[in-house]
Amino acid sequence: MRRILPYPVVVGALALEVEAVRLDDVSLPYEMISSSNRTVALHHLRHADWCTARMNVTVRGPAAELNAGPWRSMSCVVSLTERRTNTHTTTRLPMTSELGAWSGQIELHRDDHVGKAELTATLVATVDGVAGREIAGTDDHWTIDLHAHIPVKRDDLVTRWVDFNDEAHPWLRVYRTDPWVVDTSGDTPTLYLNSGFEGLRLLLESRAPADRPAKEALAGRIAMDTWNVLFDAAAQGVRDWPGGWRETVLRRMLPDMYTDRSPDDALRELSTTDAGELRSRVLHAAAKQARMSAALGAYIRAIRGRPQEEK
Amino acid sequence: MTQDPHPQMEDFGPWLGRQLRRKGMSQSELAAALDVTRAAVSAWITGRATPRIDKIQAIDELLGLASGSSMTREETPDSAGSIDWHLRPAHEDGGRELGNAAAFAFDSNLAVLAREATQNSLDERFDETRAVRVRFILNELTGERLRGFQEAIRWDTIAPHIKAAADPAQKVGRVLADGLRELHEGGSLLLLRVDDYNANGLTDSEYDDGRFAAVIRRQMDSHKGDQAGGSYGLGKATLWATSRFGLVIVNSTLSAPYEGRRDRRVIGRIDLPWHKRDDKGYAGPAWLGERDPRRNGAARSWWAGERTVEELRLSRSNADPGTSFLIVGAYDPSGEATTLQEMHAALVKSLADGFWASMVSGRGKEPVLEASVEARRNDKEIVVPEERVDPHRYQRARSRAVRAYKNGETVDSLTSADDVVAARVPLLVPPRKTTGQTQPVEHSAVLLVTPAGDDEERPNRVAGMRGTLMTVSDRAVGDLPLGAPRFQAVLLAGHATGINDPDGEPKLDATLAEEFLRAAEPPEHNDWKPTEDLTATFARGAVSRLKEFRSAVLAAVRDTVRPADGGPADREVPEALQGLVKLDPPKPVKSPGYPTVRSASGEVDDEGAWRIRVEVRLPQREDPWVIRPLLRFSTRSGPRPEVPWARLEPLEECEVVDGSDLRCRSGARRVVFIGVSDITGHPVNARMSTVEVDLMRVRGGA
Repeated sequence: MRRILPYPVVVGALALEVEAVRLDDVSLPYEMISSSNRTVALHHLRHADWCTARMNVTVRGPAAELNAGPWRSMSCVVSLTERRTNTHTTTRLPMTSELGAWSGQIELHRDDHVGKAELTATLVATVDGVAGREIAGTDDHWTIDLHAHIPVKRDDLVTRWVDFNDEAHPWLRVYRTDPWVVDTSGDTPTLYLNSGFEGLRLLLESRAPADRPAKEALAGRIAMDTWNVLFDAAAQGVRDWPGGWRETVLRRMLPDMYTDRSPDDALRELSTTDAGELRSRVLHAAAKQARMSAALGAYIRAIRGRPQEEK
Repeated sequence: MTQDPHPQMEDFGPWLGRQLRRKGMSQSELAAALDVTRAAVSAWITGRATPRIDKIQAIDELLGLASGSSMTREETPDSAGSIDWHLRPAHEDGGRELGNAAAFAFDSNLAVLAREATQNSLDERFDETRAVRVRFILNELTGERLRGFQEAIRWDTIAPHIKAAADPAQKVGRVLADGLRELHEGGSLLLLRVDDYNANGLTDSEYDDGRFAAVIRRQMDSHKGDQAGGSYGLGKATLWATSRFGLVIVNSTLSAPYEGRRDRRVIGRIDLPWHKRDDKGYAGPAWLGERDPRRNGAARSWWAGERTVEELRLSRSNADPGTSFLIVGAYDPSGEATTLQEMHAALVKSLADGFWASMVSGRGKEPVLEASVEARRNDKEIVVPEERVDPHRYQRARSRAVRAYKNGETVDSLTSADDVVAARVPLLVPPRKTTGQTQPVEHSAVLLVTPAGDDEERPNRVAGMRGTLMTVSDRAVGDLPLGAPRFQAVLLAGHATGINDPDGEPKLDATLAEEFLRAAEPPEHNDWKPTEDLTATFARGAVSRLKEFRSAVLAAVRDTVRPADGGPADREVPEALQGLVKLDPPKPVKSPGYPTVRSASGEVDDEGAWRIRVEVRLPQREDPWVIRPLLRFSTRSGPRPEVPWARLEPLEECEVVDGSDLRCRSGARRVVFIGVSDITGHPVNARMSTVEVDLMRVRGGA
């Protein structure tokens, strides 16, 4: 998808860096800021009761291009947004002595956010006499994660071993004869593995070479089920990209479901595909995500006693 | 220094002494000719007495100088023909050298030249409170200017010898033959000038030990000073190796007078292999200079006039001491850089890679080094303007680290992207074999670590350096703790640890560490490792001490970047499941199996409608693609309203079907069309909108 604007915009990239973070005046260790993952983790055990996070940010644009271009009264703003709370906070950054660079401090109030906030930068200027036009934006946003204690950009699936018979998880008792269950109701989807299911943990965590084909076929089976459930949860009633893990699931699976359509086109196509055909396409995509064919192939060769070709 | 570097007129004594040497006349001969005692001549030369006016006139006459020369201390004019090439005759024993061994010892290219030449200049730094300035100037000569330059270097004398030595059966001979062919066919000659300012210059006498003889007369002599990593040692050979003809002309401003003079000491040297011309054998090397009558035709340097150095393209830009080397017929021996632009870039990169730390300055202080590179044609035409190499541009994180250390702004733990952590790393310097001392001395090297930005191409490395701040070692750090940020590290050892305090004398441990590490450097000075020099100079255990130091450095780096809260928390994902249920965003596909918008551009026309040219890339397929372009007005959030087209105009490889779809030609990989929006469907004025073009595959489109 290409955006076209009716006035000249900046070609060069706009780079946004978070350089330091303080939680109520206590500096966060730098390893909680990851420039390569474009992520800041705000959950620090020793400062759990913070109210305000203050971040030093710098935005750098293509200095030569900005200098030569037709843009007047340029200013640089950074925005903090979170979909779940529909919060938008915008801060204007002061210019620095370096050409094409802006730098300043922005505040994140804990009360305004619940999970992850996105941080983006935008350059606005007067173009052709019209003020406040967007002339450049960051390609890649930063994620400010309120609950993470390491800055990894991943809406990871949580995997937990639980005895489904245990009194502590009454809702899982219904499934006590099942080896695993996927729960998509919370913020992050969770895969519960039943440690009360005899032999499951033994096989899945076995390091014996002889168990390997069976272990990998089992893992593939679990993964395939998981992708199946995740897809149904993500695709339900979807019209536009849903964001978060749901969007990631769709973006990973749709290209395998509709190989000759772009992701946007495939998303539109979802609502018009009939249920039976949709199911087969989902199964195919889930099997690919779970790398089912390789695992199953190795398993079959193993139980048929035929040696595998050396790799 | 208290002496005036520009004496208005030199004393009579040294002047007379020099004129006699030039003539090859002894003091007694002069005394006899003037009918005075030898003691009187000796008194004149040592400055104890001055001759009467009639004797002075007689001296002018005897020396063949213009009348009054002795009063004004004029020299024999250069144009008098006393300057020419003087070739060393072949060895009596018939021995033949077919190349300079020192030049073969190096893998030559422009990067090595820049590194070696600059290293020599740093080792020869004169005023320790000021920067050494090095300047590289590429200058390509053609036509009249080339001819004029050739006259100045007496090309017609030496060219027949180059031709005679250009034996295609030898490595050196082939290079010479190539050089002559380039000059002949291309009609151009490239000069590369390497200047240093605030350096010692080529001081001392013509033949005895000293800087001049080390550079001009000898091979492999490193004339080591205190700091030197071998100044003018093997490295100087790279100057000659960068000339297609092995030809370098030198102009030096001396830091200490020789023969009572400092300015414009000039000599040229060419390194040819053994050759024969007109039935006479020549050993190879030749010198451009004055004939030395007392040395059987050997050549001496001469004190050139300003005009002469200008003709030689060797005028220096100020009176600071230092040396200008002019490499005649310069080229990149590796063959990588061929144009002036490429050579400029190669030199800048080498200077930035090797000497970024030397070029970093602390607050209110000069750096150790300033370097610049420029390229011209025919003296005047600027091809690449002079670029002063900016360390902060080429090594952002590392330069920040060194600057913070110089300014005393380092911290103990990282909390921000420009913080610099300083840590101490011990180095046990074993005693030298020659001293009676038996106990090792502990030196504290300084390790600086700072976060690296995303633009750093090679993060997670440690660069090591000592006194001159030249990068000696550059190693990757492995086994990093999980969750460690990207970083750059700098290790300052020996005298480099005192860089924030240039006035104080270096401590003993720093000096010992400096010597120890220097001994651990190979001739290229590009690593610290066990060398013969190291095991020969230091007591048993030197190699182990070096290894311990290296692992202590790596351990200290890992410690500094280790996250305080430990690695990733209690993950319970069984190993077998890892990678199968990852929720990373998918990687972008390189060649997607569906039509994609390759470019879309447009503007709002006079009617207020969007007019957009769209280029679509199609995957290979036999059946024709049928696609429907969709136009949407962008919004910040929520659904983006779709706007109908007023018309579609196919431009390349497609046709409009059903008014809103495009049928692409069968087998086409790229189609182009123009779409004009329907104004009646616009939700807002087009001039206030941002639009997007999206493609939809039409169902049933075969």
